Amino acid sequence: MALFAYRCRNCGLFTFPLPCLCRSCGGREFEAVPLSSRCRLITWTRLFALPSGYKKPWRSFGIAEFENGLRVTGVLDCKNPMVGMELHAVRGIVRTHPDARSETGFIFQAENGPGLLP
Amino acid sequence: MRSVGICGIGHTKFGEYPGSFLTMLCQAALEAMDDAGTSGGPHHVIDQILVSTMGAGILNHQSGVASAVADALALCPAMAETVENGPASGGSALKLGYMAIASGLCDCVLVVGGDQMTRVPGPVATDFVATMLHPEAEYRLGLTLPAFVGMFTRLLMDKNGITPRDLALLAVKNHANAMLNPLAQLHKPVALSDLMDKTETRRRDRIIADPLRLYDACPISDGAAAAVLCAMDRTQALGLRTPVRIAGIASATDTHVVANRADPTRLDAVRISAQHAYQMAGLHPADVDVAELHDAFLILELAESEEAGLFPRGTSHLALRRGETAIGGRLPINPSGGLKAKGHPLGATGISQVVELVHQLRGEAGERQVPGARTGLAINFGGFGNNVVSTLVTTRKEDA
Repeated sequence: MALFAYRCRNCGLFTFPLPCLCRSCGGREFEAVPLSSRCRLITWTRLFALPSGYKKPWRSFGIAEFENGLRVTGVLDCKNPMVGMELHAVRGIVRTHPDARSETGFIFQAENGPGLLP
Repeated sequence: MRSVGICGIGHTKFGEYPGSFLTMLCQAALEAMDDAGTSGGPHHVIDQILVSTMGAGILNHQSGVASAVADALALCPAMAETVENGPASGGSALKLGYMAIASGLCDCVLVVGGDQMTRVPGPVATDFVATMLHPEAEYRLGLTLPAFVGMFTRLLMDKNGITPRDLALLAVKNHANAMLNPLAQLHKPVALSDLMDKTETRRRDRIIADPLRLYDACPISDGAAAAVLCAMDRTQALGLRTPVRIAGIASATDTHVVANRADPTRLDAVRISAQHAYQMAGLHPADVDVAELHDAFLILELAESEEAGLFPRGTSHLALRRGETAIGGRLPINPSGGLKAKGHPLGATGISQVVELVHQLRGEAGERQVPGARTGLAINFGGFGNNVVSTLVTTRKEDA
Protein backbone atom coordinates (compact mmCIF):
# COMPACT_ATOMS: atom_id res chain seq x y z
CA MET A 1 0.00 0.00 0.00
CA ALA A 2 1.36 3.41 -0.98
CA LEU A 3 2.27 5.90 1.69
CA PHE A 4 0.61 9.25 1.11
CA ALA A 5 -0.55 12.46 2.79
CA TYR A 6 -2.38 15.58 1.68
CA ARG A 7 -0.83 18.90 0.73
CA CYS A 8 -2.66 22.22 0.76
CA ARG A 9 -2.59 23.63 -2.79
CA ASN A 10 -2.44 27.16 -1.39
CA CYS A 11 0.27 27.11 1.31
CA GLY A 12 1.86 23.67 0.93
CA LEU A 13 1.11 22.42 4.48
CA PHE A 14 1.18 18.62 4.72
CA THR A 15 -1.65 17.04 6.64
CA PHE A 16 -3.32 13.71 7.39
CA PRO A 17 -6.17 12.84 7.31
CA LEU A 18 -7.84 14.99 4.66
CA PRO A 19 -9.21 18.14 6.36
CA CYS A 20 -12.05 20.39 5.21
CA LEU A 21 -9.93 23.52 5.59
CA CYS A 22 -6.19 24.07 5.94
CA ARG A 23 -5.47 24.98 9.58
CA SER A 24 -2.58 27.16 8.42
CA CYS A 25 -4.15 29.28 5.64
CA GLY A 26 -7.84 28.31 5.41
CA GLY A 27 -7.33 26.83 1.93
CA ARG A 28 -9.91 24.33 0.71
CA GLU A 29 -8.05 22.46 -2.00
CA PHE A 30 -5.71 19.58 -1.25
CA GLU A 31 -3.82 17.05 -3.33
CA ALA A 32 -2.78 13.56 -2.34
CA VAL A 33 1.01 13.32 -2.51
CA PRO A 34 3.40 10.39 -1.99
CA LEU A 35 5.22 10.39 1.33
CA SER A 36 8.83 9.45 1.95
CA SER A 37 9.00 6.63 4.49
CA ARG A 38 11.71 8.22 6.68
CA CYS A 39 10.40 9.58 9.96
CA ARG A 40 11.42 10.18 13.58
CA LEU A 41 9.71 8.96 16.73
CA ILE A 42 8.29 11.85 18.79
CA THR A 43 6.75 9.75 21.58
CA TRP A 44 5.32 6.29 22.12
CA THR A 45 3.45 3.99 24.47
CA ARG A 46 2.80 0.29 24.86
CA LEU A 47 -0.91 -0.09 25.49
CA PHE A 48 -2.03 -3.05 27.59
CA ALA A 49 -5.61 -1.90 28.25
CA LEU A 50 -6.86 -2.50 24.73
CA PRO A 51 -10.42 -1.72 23.64
CA SER A 52 -12.94 -4.48 22.98
CA GLY A 53 -12.34 -6.59 19.88
CA TYR A 54 -8.63 -7.21 20.49
CA LYS A 55 -7.26 -10.62 21.26
CA LYS A 56 -3.70 -9.38 21.73
CA PRO A 57 -1.98 -8.73 25.09
CA TRP A 58 -0.64 -5.34 24.07
CA ARG A 59 0.06 -3.07 21.16
CA SER A 60 2.50 -0.17 20.79
CA PHE A 61 1.58 3.19 19.30
CA GLY A 62 3.65 6.23 18.48
CA ILE A 63 3.58 9.70 17.01
CA ALA A 64 6.18 10.18 14.30
CA GLU A 65 7.34 13.19 12.32
CA PHE A 66 8.17 12.96 8.63
CA GLU A 67 10.87 14.99 6.91
CA ASN A 68 8.23 17.40 5.54
CA GLY A 69 7.06 18.23 9.08
CA LEU A 70 3.92 16.08 8.99
CA ARG A 71 3.15 14.31 12.27
CA VAL A 72 0.87 11.29 12.43
CA THR A 73 -0.10 8.67 14.97
CA GLY A 74 0.40 5.04 14.02
CA VAL A 75 1.12 1.55 15.20
CA LEU A 76 4.69 1.10 16.40
CA ASP A 77 6.30 -2.16 15.32
CA CYS A 78 9.68 -1.89 16.97
CA LYS A 79 11.36 -3.96 19.71
CA ASN A 80 13.12 -1.24 21.68
CA PRO A 81 11.53 2.12 20.91
CA MET A 82 13.31 5.31 21.94
CA VAL A 83 12.14 8.90 21.57
CA GLY A 84 14.03 10.53 18.69
CA MET A 85 14.97 7.31 16.89
CA GLU A 86 14.79 7.11 13.10
CA LEU A 87 11.93 4.99 11.77
CA HIS A 88 10.64 3.67 8.49
CA ALA A 89 6.90 4.11 7.86
CA VAL A 90 4.73 1.77 5.84
CA ARG A 91 0.99 1.64 5.28
CA GLY A 92 -0.65 -1.62 6.24
CA ILE A 93 -3.35 -3.38 8.20
CA VAL A 94 -3.35 -1.97 11.72
CA ARG A 95 -6.42 -3.66 13.15
CA THR A 96 -8.63 -6.60 12.28
CA HIS A 97 -12.11 -6.68 13.79
CA PRO A 98 -13.77 -9.87 15.07
CA ASP A 99 -15.98 -9.88 11.96
CA ALA A 100 -12.80 -9.91 9.78
CA ARG A 101 -13.08 -6.28 8.65
CA SER A 102 -9.68 -4.66 8.70
CA GLU A 103 -8.36 -1.12 9.08
CA THR A 104 -5.31 0.32 7.39
CA GLY A 105 -2.99 2.96 8.71
CA PHE A 106 0.58 4.02 9.38
CA ILE A 107 2.96 1.42 10.82
CA PHE A 108 6.35 2.61 12.08
CA GLN A 109 9.25 0.16 11.99
CA ALA A 110 12.87 0.41 13.08
CA GLU A 111 15.22 0.98 10.17
CA ASN A 112 16.72 -2.50 10.67
CA GLY A 113 13.30 -4.13 10.26
CA PRO A 114 10.02 -4.74 12.04
CA GLY A 115 9.79 -5.82 15.66
CA LEU A 116 7.11 -8.39 14.80
CA LEU A 117 3.76 -7.14 16.04
CA PRO A 118 2.20 -9.33 18.75
CA MET B 1 -24.74 40.46 31.15
CA ARG B 2 -26.57 39.52 34.30
CA SER B 3 -24.61 37.90 37.13
CA VAL B 4 -25.29 34.22 37.69
CA GLY B 5 -24.95 32.16 40.85
CA ILE B 6 -25.37 28.61 42.07
CA CYS B 7 -28.17 28.28 44.64
CA GLY B 8 -28.37 24.54 45.04
CA ILE B 9 -26.18 21.46 44.56
CA GLY B 10 -26.76 17.71 44.50
CA HIS B 11 -24.52 14.67 44.10
CA THR B 12 -25.00 10.91 44.21
CA LYS B 13 -22.36 8.66 45.68
CA PHE B 14 -20.03 7.76 42.85
CA GLY B 15 -19.25 4.11 42.18
CA GLU B 16 -21.83 1.54 41.19
CA TYR B 17 -25.39 2.90 41.09
CA PRO B 18 -28.04 0.23 41.59
CA GLY B 19 -31.01 2.05 40.02
CA SER B 20 -31.83 3.25 36.53
CA PHE B 21 -30.02 6.03 34.67
CA LEU B 22 -33.05 8.30 34.96
CA THR B 23 -33.46 7.62 38.68
CA MET B 24 -29.81 8.48 39.23
CA LEU B 25 -30.11 11.80 37.41
CA CYS B 26 -33.31 12.68 39.26
CA GLN B 27 -31.78 11.85 42.65
CA ALA B 28 -29.01 14.41 42.11
CA ALA B 29 -31.41 16.95 40.60
CA LEU B 30 -33.92 16.68 43.46
CA GLU B 31 -31.14 17.12 46.00
CA ALA B 32 -30.00 20.28 44.20
CA MET B 33 -33.54 21.62 44.01
CA ASP B 34 -34.11 20.92 47.72
CA ASP B 35 -30.78 22.57 48.54
CA ALA B 36 -31.78 25.63 46.50
CA GLY B 37 -35.15 25.82 48.19
CA THR B 38 -37.32 24.98 45.22
CA SER B 39 -39.21 22.01 43.88
CA GLY B 40 -41.01 20.66 40.84
CA GLY B 41 -44.75 20.85 40.37
CA PRO B 42 -47.22 23.38 38.99
CA HIS B 43 -45.53 26.45 40.51
CA HIS B 44 -41.89 25.59 39.85
CA VAL B 45 -39.43 28.37 38.93
CA ILE B 46 -37.09 26.46 36.59
CA ASP B 47 -37.09 27.82 33.05
CA GLN B 48 -34.58 25.44 31.49
CA ILE B 49 -33.14 21.97 32.15
CA LEU B 50 -29.76 20.97 30.74
CA VAL B 51 -28.71 17.33 31.03
CA SER B 52 -25.07 16.48 30.38
CA THR B 53 -24.18 12.94 29.42
CA MET B 54 -21.67 11.35 27.12
CA GLY B 55 -22.89 7.77 27.24
CA ALA B 56 -26.69 7.79 27.48
CA GLY B 57 -27.08 6.76 23.87
CA ILE B 58 -24.27 4.21 23.73
CA LEU B 59 -24.31 2.75 27.26
CA ASN B 60 -27.98 3.15 28.22
CA HIS B 61 -29.54 3.03 24.77
CA GLN B 62 -31.46 6.14 25.69
CA SER B 63 -31.97 9.40 23.80
CA GLY B 64 -34.01 12.48 24.64
CA VAL B 65 -32.86 12.23 28.27
CA ALA B 66 -33.62 15.87 29.08
CA SER B 67 -37.28 15.38 28.15
CA ALA B 68 -37.45 12.39 30.48
CA VAL B 69 -35.92 14.41 33.34
CA ALA B 70 -38.35 17.31 32.78
CA ASP B 71 -41.32 14.97 33.03
CA ALA B 72 -39.97 12.90 35.93
CA LEU B 73 -39.33 16.03 38.02
CA ALA B 74 -42.66 17.66 37.13
CA LEU B 75 -40.88 20.56 35.49
CA CYS B 76 -42.84 20.71 32.22
CA PRO B 77 -43.20 22.99 30.29
CA ALA B 78 -39.59 24.10 31.06
CA MET B 79 -37.19 24.02 28.10
CA ALA B 80 -35.02 20.92 28.16
CA GLU B 81 -31.97 19.84 26.16
CA THR B 82 -29.21 17.25 26.41
CA VAL B 83 -25.59 18.41 26.18
CA GLU B 84 -22.74 16.20 24.96
CA ASN B 85 -19.12 17.31 24.98
CA GLY B 86 -17.30 14.14 25.93
CA PRO B 87 -15.93 14.17 29.49
CA ALA B 88 -16.42 17.96 29.54
CA SER B 89 -20.18 17.64 29.03
CA GLY B 90 -20.87 18.77 32.61
CA GLY B 91 -18.77 21.91 32.30
CA SER B 92 -20.41 22.68 28.97
CA ALA B 93 -23.90 22.30 30.45
CA LEU B 94 -22.96 24.71 33.25
CA LYS B 95 -21.63 27.16 30.68
CA LEU B 96 -24.79 26.96 28.58
CA GLY B 97 -26.91 27.41 31.71
CA TYR B 98 -24.83 30.45 32.60
CA MET B 99 -25.31 31.85 29.08
CA ALA B 100 -29.07 31.30 29.18
CA ILE B 101 -29.36 33.31 32.40
CA ALA B 102 -26.75 35.96 31.61
CA SER B 103 -28.48 36.69 28.31
CA GLY B 104 -31.80 37.24 30.04
CA LEU B 105 -33.50 34.29 28.33
CA CYS B 106 -33.93 32.46 31.64
CA ASP B 107 -33.93 33.30 35.35
CA CYS B 108 -33.36 29.81 36.72
CA VAL B 109 -31.73 26.74 35.13
CA LEU B 110 -31.35 23.19 36.44
CA VAL B 111 -28.13 21.54 35.26
CA VAL B 112 -27.78 17.82 35.90
CA GLY B 113 -25.28 15.38 34.47
CA GLY B 114 -24.32 11.77 34.79
CA ASP B 115 -23.27 8.51 33.23
CA GLN B 116 -23.51 4.83 34.10
CA MET B 117 -20.35 3.10 32.99
CA THR B 118 -20.04 0.10 35.30
CA ARG B 119 -22.71 -1.98 33.56
CA VAL B 120 -20.49 -2.80 30.63
CA PRO B 121 -17.22 -4.77 30.68
CA GLY B 122 -14.03 -2.70 31.04
CA PRO B 123 -12.88 -3.11 27.41
CA VAL B 124 -16.32 -2.00 26.18
CA ALA B 125 -16.16 1.10 28.42
CA THR B 126 -12.63 1.76 27.11
CA ASP B 127 -13.87 1.49 23.54
CA PHE B 128 -16.84 3.78 24.26
CA VAL B 129 -14.57 6.47 25.72
CA ALA B 130 -12.24 6.10 22.71
CA THR B 131 -15.06 7.06 20.34
CA MET B 132 -14.26 10.69 21.14
CA LEU B 133 -10.94 10.35 19.30
CA HIS B 134 -10.60 11.23 15.62
CA PRO B 135 -12.46 8.44 13.80
CA GLU B 136 -10.03 8.14 10.90
CA ALA B 137 -6.64 9.14 12.26
CA GLU B 138 -6.91 7.64 15.76
CA TYR B 139 -9.93 5.54 16.79
CA ARG B 140 -9.81 3.02 13.97
CA LEU B 141 -6.20 2.19 14.78
CA GLY B 142 -7.28 0.95 18.20
CA LEU B 143 -6.00 4.00 20.03
CA THR B 144 -7.56 4.91 23.37
CA LEU B 145 -7.40 7.83 25.80
CA PRO B 146 -4.84 6.02 28.00
CA ALA B 147 -2.63 5.58 24.91
CA PHE B 148 -2.50 9.33 24.33
CA VAL B 149 -1.96 10.04 28.01
CA GLY B 150 0.84 7.47 28.07
CA MET B 151 2.58 9.22 25.16
CA PHE B 152 2.04 12.62 26.82
CA THR B 153 3.29 11.37 30.19
CA ARG B 154 6.51 10.02 28.68
CA LEU B 155 7.35 13.42 27.19
CA LEU B 156 6.33 15.52 30.20
CA MET B 157 8.20 13.34 32.70
CA ASP B 158 11.33 13.62 30.60
CA LYS B 159 10.94 17.36 30.01
CA ASN B 160 10.20 18.40 33.60
CA GLY B 161 11.94 15.73 35.65
CA ILE B 162 8.67 14.26 36.94
CA THR B 163 9.30 10.84 38.49
CA PRO B 164 7.10 7.77 39.10
CA ARG B 165 7.34 8.76 42.78
CA ASP B 166 5.66 12.09 41.95
CA LEU B 167 2.75 10.29 40.29
CA ALA B 168 2.54 8.02 43.34
CA LEU B 169 2.46 11.11 45.58
CA LEU B 170 -0.54 12.38 43.62
CA ALA B 171 -2.33 9.05 44.07
CA VAL B 172 -1.61 9.07 47.80
CA LYS B 173 -2.88 12.66 48.15
CA ASN B 174 -6.09 12.18 46.17
CA HIS B 175 -6.92 8.82 47.76
CA ALA B 176 -6.42 10.42 51.19
CA ASN B 177 -8.72 13.30 50.24
CA ALA B 178 -11.38 10.87 49.01
CA MET B 179 -11.33 9.21 52.43
CA LEU B 180 -12.80 12.49 53.73
CA ASN B 181 -15.50 12.60 51.04
CA PRO B 182 -18.45 10.30 51.79
CA LEU B 183 -19.61 10.50 48.16
CA ALA B 184 -16.27 9.39 46.69
CA GLN B 185 -16.01 6.04 44.90
CA LEU B 186 -12.70 4.83 46.33
CA HIS B 187 -12.49 4.77 50.09
CA LYS B 188 -9.17 3.06 50.07
CA PRO B 189 -6.03 4.83 51.28
CA VAL B 190 -2.82 4.02 49.47
CA ALA B 191 0.66 4.37 50.96
CA LEU B 192 3.61 5.70 49.04
CA SER B 193 5.68 2.71 50.11
CA ASP B 194 3.07 0.34 48.65
CA LEU B 195 3.04 2.09 45.29
CA MET B 196 6.82 2.24 45.08
CA ASP B 197 7.68 -1.34 46.07
CA LYS B 198 8.08 -4.21 43.66
CA THR B 199 6.01 -6.80 45.41
CA GLU B 200 2.35 -7.79 45.30
CA THR B 201 0.88 -4.27 45.37
CA ARG B 202 3.16 -3.20 42.55
CA ARG B 203 2.11 -6.21 40.50
CA ARG B 204 -1.52 -5.20 40.96
CA ASP B 205 -0.53 -1.69 39.91
CA ARG B 206 0.15 -3.03 36.43
CA ILE B 207 1.18 -0.97 33.42
CA ILE B 208 -1.82 0.05 31.30
CA ALA B 209 -0.15 2.42 28.82
CA ASP B 210 3.59 2.59 29.41
CA PRO B 211 4.67 4.51 31.50
CA LEU B 212 1.15 4.83 32.98
CA ARG B 213 0.12 2.35 35.65
CA LEU B 214 -3.32 1.41 36.93
CA TYR B 215 -3.02 3.69 39.97
CA ASP B 216 -2.23 6.60 37.67
CA ALA B 217 -5.77 6.43 36.25
CA CYS B 218 -9.31 7.04 37.50
CA PRO B 219 -11.79 4.21 38.02
CA ILE B 220 -14.84 3.43 35.90
CA SER B 221 -17.83 5.04 37.58
CA ASP B 222 -21.56 5.61 37.77
CA GLY B 223 -22.83 8.84 39.23
CA ALA B 224 -24.71 12.08 38.81
CA ALA B 225 -24.30 15.67 39.99
CA ALA B 226 -26.58 18.69 39.71
CA ALA B 227 -26.71 22.43 40.28
CA VAL B 228 -29.47 25.01 40.28
CA LEU B 229 -28.31 28.24 38.61
CA CYS B 230 -30.12 31.53 39.05
CA ALA B 231 -29.77 35.20 38.16
CA MET B 232 -28.14 36.81 41.20
CA ASP B 233 -30.77 39.58 41.21
CA ARG B 234 -33.67 37.13 41.12
CA THR B 235 -32.82 34.69 43.90
CA GLN B 236 -34.77 36.52 46.61
CA ALA B 237 -37.85 36.98 44.43
CA LEU B 238 -37.81 33.29 43.55
CA GLY B 239 -37.28 32.26 47.17
CA LEU B 240 -33.92 30.61 46.50
CA ARG B 241 -30.89 30.15 48.73
CA THR B 242 -28.07 32.71 48.72
CA PRO B 243 -25.94 31.79 45.72
CA VAL B 244 -22.23 31.30 45.14
CA ARG B 245 -21.39 33.48 42.14
CA ILE B 246 -20.02 32.09 38.89
CA ALA B 247 -17.39 34.77 38.30
CA GLY B 248 -15.98 33.40 35.06
CA ILE B 249 -16.73 30.49 32.75
CA ALA B 250 -15.14 29.81 29.37
CA SER B 251 -14.26 26.99 27.06
CA ALA B 252 -11.69 26.50 24.31
CA THR B 253 -10.85 23.89 21.71
CA ASP B 254 -7.63 22.42 20.37
CA THR B 255 -6.89 20.16 17.39
CA HIS B 256 -8.96 16.99 17.37
CA VAL B 257 -6.04 15.12 15.81
CA VAL B 258 -3.55 15.10 18.69
CA ALA B 259 -0.53 14.62 16.39
CA ASN B 260 -1.26 17.98 14.74
CA ARG B 261 -0.28 19.96 17.87
CA ALA B 262 2.92 21.95 17.51
CA ASP B 263 4.10 21.05 21.02
CA PRO B 264 2.84 17.67 22.23
CA THR B 265 3.51 18.61 25.87
CA ARG B 266 1.19 21.63 25.85
CA LEU B 267 -2.54 21.71 26.56
CA ASP B 268 -3.50 24.95 24.85
CA ALA B 269 -7.26 24.62 25.40
CA VAL B 270 -6.69 24.47 29.17
CA ARG B 271 -4.51 27.58 29.09
CA ILE B 272 -6.83 29.58 26.85
CA SER B 273 -10.08 28.64 28.59
CA ALA B 274 -8.56 29.43 32.00
CA GLN B 275 -7.22 32.78 30.75
CA HIS B 276 -10.65 33.71 29.40
CA ALA B 277 -12.32 32.72 32.68
CA TYR B 278 -9.83 34.84 34.69
CA GLN B 279 -10.39 37.82 32.37
CA MET B 280 -14.15 37.49 32.63
CA ALA B 281 -13.94 37.30 36.42
CA GLY B 282 -11.36 40.05 36.82
CA LEU B 283 -9.33 37.56 38.85
CA HIS B 284 -5.86 36.07 38.62
CA PRO B 285 -4.37 32.64 39.32
CA ALA B 286 -3.07 34.02 42.64
CA ASP B 287 -6.69 34.60 43.71
CA VAL B 288 -7.53 30.89 43.54
CA ASP B 289 -7.82 29.31 46.99
CA VAL B 290 -8.83 25.80 45.92
CA ALA B 291 -8.94 23.95 42.59
CA GLU B 292 -10.70 20.90 41.23
CA LEU B 293 -8.69 19.72 38.24
CA HIS B 294 -9.52 16.95 35.77
CA ASP B 295 -7.13 14.21 36.91
CA ALA B 296 -8.64 11.35 34.90
CA PHE B 297 -4.94 10.49 34.71
CA LEU B 298 -2.73 11.85 37.47
CA ILE B 299 -0.24 13.55 35.18
CA LEU B 300 -3.09 15.85 34.06
CA GLU B 301 -3.37 17.39 37.53
CA LEU B 302 0.21 18.63 37.19
CA ALA B 303 -0.11 19.71 33.55
CA GLU B 304 -3.43 21.51 34.03
CA SER B 305 -2.24 23.33 37.15
CA GLU B 306 0.61 24.82 35.12
CA GLU B 307 -1.51 25.63 32.05
CA ALA B 308 -4.00 27.40 34.35
CA GLY B 309 -1.19 29.51 35.77
CA LEU B 310 -1.35 28.10 39.30
CA PHE B 311 2.36 27.21 39.14
CA PRO B 312 5.18 28.22 36.79
CA ARG B 313 5.83 25.72 34.00
CA GLY B 314 7.85 22.73 35.06
CA THR B 315 7.39 23.29 38.79
CA SER B 316 4.03 21.80 39.81
CA HIS B 317 5.61 18.48 40.83
CA LEU B 318 7.99 20.39 43.10
CA ALA B 319 5.00 22.09 44.79
CA LEU B 320 3.43 18.65 45.16
CA ARG B 321 6.59 17.33 46.86
CA ARG B 322 6.45 20.27 49.30
CA GLY B 323 2.83 19.44 50.16
CA GLU B 324 1.51 22.71 48.75
CA THR B 325 -1.41 21.02 46.95
CA ALA B 326 -2.57 18.96 49.93
CA ILE B 327 -5.46 20.06 52.14
CA GLY B 328 -3.73 22.46 54.54
CA GLY B 329 -1.19 23.41 51.89
CA ARG B 330 -0.85 26.74 50.09
CA LEU B 331 -3.18 25.75 47.22
CA PRO B 332 -5.16 22.54 47.79
CA ILE B 333 -5.97 20.69 44.56
CA ASN B 334 -8.71 18.09 44.33
CA PRO B 335 -9.80 18.06 47.98
CA SER B 336 -12.78 15.97 46.81
CA GLY B 337 -10.39 13.15 45.85
CA GLY B 338 -10.43 14.25 42.22
CA LEU B 339 -11.48 12.03 39.38
CA LYS B 340 -8.73 9.68 40.50
CA ALA B 341 -10.44 8.64 43.72
CA LYS B 342 -13.84 10.38 43.84
CA GLY B 343 -14.64 8.79 40.44
CA HIS B 344 -15.31 9.96 36.91
CA PRO B 345 -18.83 9.33 35.59
CA LEU B 346 -18.09 11.42 32.49
CA GLY B 347 -21.24 13.56 32.12
CA ALA B 348 -21.34 14.25 35.86
CA THR B 349 -17.71 15.24 36.31
CA GLY B 350 -17.73 18.93 35.35
CA ILE B 351 -20.74 19.56 37.59
CA SER B 352 -19.28 17.43 40.39
CA GLN B 353 -16.13 19.57 40.39
CA VAL B 354 -18.19 22.73 40.84
CA VAL B 355 -20.37 21.06 43.49
CA GLU B 356 -17.20 20.46 45.52
CA LEU B 357 -16.13 24.08 45.07
CA VAL B 358 -19.54 25.30 46.27
CA HIS B 359 -19.20 23.08 49.36
CA GLN B 360 -15.76 24.60 49.95
CA LEU B 361 -16.92 28.19 49.46
CA ARG B 362 -19.92 27.69 51.72
CA GLY B 363 -17.56 26.31 54.37
CA GLU B 364 -19.45 23.03 54.57
CA ALA B 365 -16.82 20.58 53.31
CA GLY B 366 -16.27 19.01 56.71
CA GLU B 367 -12.91 17.38 57.30
CA ARG B 368 -11.72 18.28 53.80
CA GLN B 369 -12.55 21.98 54.21
CA VAL B 370 -9.97 24.40 52.84
CA PRO B 371 -9.90 27.11 55.53
CA GLY B 372 -11.07 30.51 54.33
CA ALA B 373 -11.66 29.44 50.71
CA ARG B 374 -13.30 32.27 48.77
CA THR B 375 -12.49 31.48 45.13
CA GLY B 376 -12.33 28.12 43.39
CA LEU B 377 -11.27 27.00 39.91
CA ALA B 378 -12.56 23.93 38.06
CA ILE B 379 -10.99 22.56 34.87
CA ASN B 380 -13.16 20.07 32.95
CA PHE B 381 -11.09 18.39 30.23
CA GLY B 382 -12.78 16.90 27.16
CA GLY B 383 -11.22 14.52 24.65
CA PHE B 384 -7.47 14.56 24.98
CA GLY B 385 -7.58 18.27 25.74
CA ASN B 386 -9.45 19.20 22.58
CA ASN B 387 -12.42 20.81 24.36
CA VAL B 388 -11.94 22.23 27.85
CA VAL B 389 -14.21 24.24 30.18
CA SER B 390 -12.79 26.42 32.96
CA THR B 391 -15.07 27.75 35.70
CA LEU B 392 -14.33 30.22 38.50
CA VAL B 393 -16.73 30.48 41.43
CA THR B 394 -16.36 32.98 44.22
CA THR B 395 -17.92 34.51 47.29
CA ARG B 396 -16.07 37.78 46.65
CA LYS B 397 -18.23 40.81 45.99
CA GLU B 398 -18.59 41.58 42.31
CA ASP B 399 -16.83 44.93 42.45
CA ALA B 400 -14.03 43.69 44.74
